[in-house]
Amino acid sequence: MLEIKPIFHALCRSKVGAILLLIQIAITTAIVSNAAFIIQDRVAFLNQDTGYPEHDIFKFNVMTFGQDVDINQQIELDETMLRSLPEVIDAAMSSSIPLSGGGSASDFSLKPAPQEGLSVRTAYFFIDDHGINTYGVNLVMGRNFSEDEVLVTNNVDKRPSVTIVSQTLLNELFPKGNGLGQTIYFGETPLKVIGVVEKMMSPWLKDSRPDNLAFIPYINAKSLAQFVVRTKPDQRDAVMKEVENLMLKNYSKRVINNIKGLDELKNQYVAADKLMMRMLIVLITILVLVTALGIFGLTLFNISKRTKQIGTRRALGARKSAIIYYFLVENAMICGVGLILGCIAALLLGQLLMQHFSIAALPPSYIAGTAIMVFVMSLLAVFGPAKRAANISPSIATRTI
Amino acid sequence: MLKMNNISKLYQTEMVQTHALRDFNLHVDEGEFIAVTGPSGSGKTTFLNIAGMLEPFSSGEYLLDGIDVGKLNDNQRADCRNQKIGFIFQGFNLIPDLNLYENIEVPLRYRGIKASERKRRIEQCLEQVGLASRAKHLPQQLSGGQQQRVAIARALAGEPRFLLADEPTGNLDSLMARQVMELLEQINRDGATIIMVTHDPELARRAPRNIQVVDGQLADFTLYQGAQNLKNVAGA
Repeated sequence: MLEIKPIFHALCRSKVGAILLLIQIAITTAIVSNAAFIIQDRVAFLNQDTGYPEHDIFKFNVMTFGQDVDINQQIELDETMLRSLPEVIDAAMSSSIPLSGGGSASDFSLKPAPQEGLSVRTAYFFIDDHGINTYGVNLVMGRNFSEDEVLVTNNVDKRPSVTIVSQTLLNELFPKGNGLGQTIYFGETPLKVIGVVEKMMSPWLKDSRPDNLAFIPYINAKSLAQFVVRTKPDQRDAVMKEVENLMLKNYSKRVINNIKGLDELKNQYVAADKLMMRMLIVLITILVLVTALGIFGLTLFNISKRTKQIGTRRALGARKSAIIYYFLVENAMICGVGLILGCIAALLLGQLLMQHFSIAALPPSYIAGTAIMVFVMSLLAVFGPAKRAANISPSIATRTI
Repeated sequence: MLKMNNISKLYQTEMVQTHALRDFNLHVDEGEFIAVTGPSGSGKTTFLNIAGMLEPFSSGEYLLDGIDVGKLNDNQRADCRNQKIGFIFQGFNLIPDLNLYENIEVPLRYRGIKASERKRRIEQCLEQVGLASRAKHLPQQLSGGQQQRVAIARALAGEPRFLLADEPTGNLDSLMARQVMELLEQINRDGATIIMVTHDPELARRAPRNIQVVDGQLADFTLYQGAQNLKNVAGA
């Protein structure tokens, strides 16, 4: 028993409530589909593989104020001490810390500066031959630095000659895949690529090149230095508690601070993204709830307005199921038009966001998914009131209301 | 055709029990035109609601066309209403968002009648009530008398065994009321069985058979024409 035509005609003759509701549905669809996509994008961003065992790594800063020490020598002593701890897998001084939001970057090129050639923005760490093991990254091609390739010096004119780079960087500089053993330029300094790491992220996850990273075997210790330590699984907290005492025992005229896990650094860096994601989740939850309440309220209003009409329909032979069906079809028609408008609005909003906020194009699957969700939600919202309408007694038709 | 044996209807609240109908007995034969009168609150509308299966009764037996109404479930009662009974309400009860054609179509759709057959019946009924040219009008574009004629057309379209009319002229002026009454008489002459609840003694007198409901019981049972004859004889 299809009543689509008379329901449509009835809606056309009494359309204000329906139009308001379909606008609400359209707005909800447009915003929810885009917000859901942004949330999914952020979730993928937050859960991406960084290449590091974040929960086993921590860093700390060392600020040496004592003048009676050779810092380079002291750092070697500290590294030796740290590496000798039974809970520690490896430790190294690192000029920058990944995922922290702070570090150094430069253009790495196929030609020495100032010649122009293919150059790629790259983060770089000055680190010794323990860097690979300390960061726990996976060397997939070539080899690690040898001890004699690590340049420990206070003379800034001396330059290292080799580098280990991330796979992404190598692929970008050498798309044919023949980069291992080739020379790339860090400014004017030629560096031979001796090893390739499968994945390691730079300090900036939101950078345009977040996984372009180069290790350079160069140690030029200064009064302010950063250490990275990788411990055995579940041993990190214990070492973090002890590291200050151990370092001060080695040499006391310095301050050890900023002892933080790599996961904590990452969390600090992505805090704004998490906040935005939570706000979007709250926003779409509220929107969906308000829309559901709107449908629920309008249906209840329609029922109270049409009590006599419903009683009359029942008197004329409508089964309870026919009354429920009537309201479901009526809602589906309003919702259908709202969803068509909402899908168009979602596409337009997606394009606007893409233009102004560098967000990827909204995939149609998100619009379709949101439309289905809103449609199901609207049917659920209308079902309760429709059931209540179906229970209106047909005897209401003979009463004066 | 319609048999009510000892029908009672009890409305019960926490504080009060009210007998709207008690031991109500009535037999109606095919083709009759019965006027039901009685003071306000006497149980006329309750009788009509039970006769039209719009509400259940508390005890007794009600047979409609041989069907024991008391044993029907909600869906069966709805189907039975749709197929056997045509309603004419005091307030017309037309659906304001639907035009005349669509209003008359409502019970036919519930019966699952095909569109072409619906069209034929609707046009025929609109013709019968003299509103064929106004099929696309909305109810509010018509006078009260015209609206009641549409309601009659809606009741007739299902070709019911019974017409139940609840104060069909209650909201109409005397001229319109007379027109509607003439239409009902015509329908009765064409073979329909009509039970009409009315306050109006004038209208009731036009029905061949009158029954009076007082305090939920059948108080007086008169074949009006017979009574009229007796009265005439007595007067002579």
